Amino acid sequence: MSKRVILSWLTWGILIVVVIFFLFPFFWILSSSLKGRGEFFTRPPVWLPAHLDWSNYPDALRRGGLKGLTDSFVIAFSSMVISLVLGAPAAYAIARFQVGRENLAFWILSIRMFPPIATILPLFVIFRFAGLVDSYAGLVLAYTVFNLPFAIWILKGFIEDLPREIEEAAKVDGARPFQIFRMIVIPLAAPGLVVAALFTFIFAWNDFAYAVIFSGSKVTPLPVVIAQFAGGHEILWGQISAAAIIAIAPALLIAIFLQKYLTRGLTMGAVK
Amino acid sequence: MEIQEKNFARLMVTPAVGLLFLVTIAPLLFSLGVSFTNLQFGSPQPMRWSGLDNYVRLLSKDARFLSALWRTILLVVGGVVTQTILGYVIAALLFRIRRGRTILLSAILIPSVISQVVAGWQGRMIFNASYGPLNDLLARFGIKGPAWLASQQTALTTIFLTDTWQWTPFLALIILAALQSLPQDIVEAARLDGADGWSMFRFVTLPLILPVTSIGILLRGVDLFKTFDLVYILTQGGPGNSSETLTYYTYIEGFKFFNPSYASAMSFIQLILVTIAAKAFLSFVRRPRSF
Repeated sequence: MSKRVILSWLTWGILIVVVIFFLFPFFWILSSSLKGRGEFFTRPPVWLPAHLDWSNYPDALRRGGLKGLTDSFVIAFSSMVISLVLGAPAAYAIARFQVGRENLAFWILSIRMFPPIATILPLFVIFRFAGLVDSYAGLVLAYTVFNLPFAIWILKGFIEDLPREIEEAAKVDGARPFQIFRMIVIPLAAPGLVVAALFTFIFAWNDFAYAVIFSGSKVTPLPVVIAQFAGGHEILWGQISAAAIIAIAPALLIAIFLQKYLTRGLTMGAVK
Repeated sequence: MEIQEKNFARLMVTPAVGLLFLVTIAPLLFSLGVSFTNLQFGSPQPMRWSGLDNYVRLLSKDARFLSALWRTILLVVGGVVTQTILGYVIAALLFRIRRGRTILLSAILIPSVISQVVAGWQGRMIFNASYGPLNDLLARFGIKGPAWLASQQTALTTIFLTDTWQWTPFLALIILAALQSLPQDIVEAARLDGADGWSMFRFVTLPLILPVTSIGILLRGVDLFKTFDLVYILTQGGPGNSSETLTYYTYIEGFKFFNPSYASAMSFIQLILVTIAAKAFLSFVRRPRSF
């Protein structure tokens, strides 16, 4: 065999090990979510359940998982809508009219660097006064802290990539600025809107730091439910694993759908 | 620009900027004020200004704060260095193959798009000393695995390993994007000039990918500095305080000890540290250099 062929086999060999390494924990919780009661505390551990026990899923949903799922969905969806409705006009103004010059743009970017605890604490005090703790509105509002800057930044990048000529032609034809934004920029920036929508949804869906502090007995997003399960006296290994699998599902679907834009989304557009 | 357009643009940013101001700057100023008081919920003492007391106490007397700071620095430096190197190796391997690159990358990236709570839960299961698969695997090779999460010596390392598992793919993604955008003519010219292996990496690849990847590395550093979720799920800062990070300690002070003034001072110190570190990092990677 030539050196090239050996090298190519070696590369593939290592890459397969790498993939197994990164996917193994998913196999483990999937397998755990299907184990029967007696299969958690054995030494050596059970790698594959003897037969598939699906009861952990309905059980996890019954013990608060379903409520968590609905709460997470409502909150993530609302956060997404607000981020787009407020973010798109702001992104357009910053991209095309250089509102606030670099200062505004830099400030928006710098919010990403904030330690969340620096805003969580005072927000909590303010929310307590306003009665927003343990409510949908409170969490949705809190999530604008990271989702709105993200939406503005990502959309700004997409809008800057659009050709200016169409907007200028419309202006010559007498279209008003807001008409140009609504009838031309929004449809052309649709891919950017989809990317921003899905990412803001997932960020809110995945969040735990804000959720654990601003939620209570009435509102319990899925990550909080999982953490409560895991922190209890009797740890329900099977049910938690089932809930974790359920929590992964939408993120996974969106990641597959967004493949082309993953770099852009994860780096706030810093790397296209 | 016409006045009409200027006003229009201002109108378009106002709702977003207003809301962002309300949820970031306003609370921050509020919290800055609180950090100069002795406010403590449930304390019999009346609230009063205490000047820099909280800051002085933090930086000179609070051993718990200083050790949390030290652990956080270890986590940031260790995490950034390890994940960047591993990310580069994975990206370089992916860069060598043609068919299947996208599908492999997507598979590897799954950890980076899931909730940290789920990653934490996976860590709890994998690193379980008695019933987890990792120690079982080590035992099959005749190695007795450590207690991982249950030991003061290894708890922080376990958090670091879980974070590295979750976020190395993110850096691999960014570094691969940088490799794919390398100008091929420069690489080719360097090869003709006799550059290969290490010198190619040191004098051609590295300087070319550094500007693009520095943002990703910076984001990673900032997020590692904020490590909270994994600590909460994996160890709750224990055993003892052996895996407590700065954010987690701030959370305990603010929400378990109901001591908002002290916690506010702590979060301000963190904000200052992050800003200085980020600026220093950026000026380091972006300084003009002669190769």
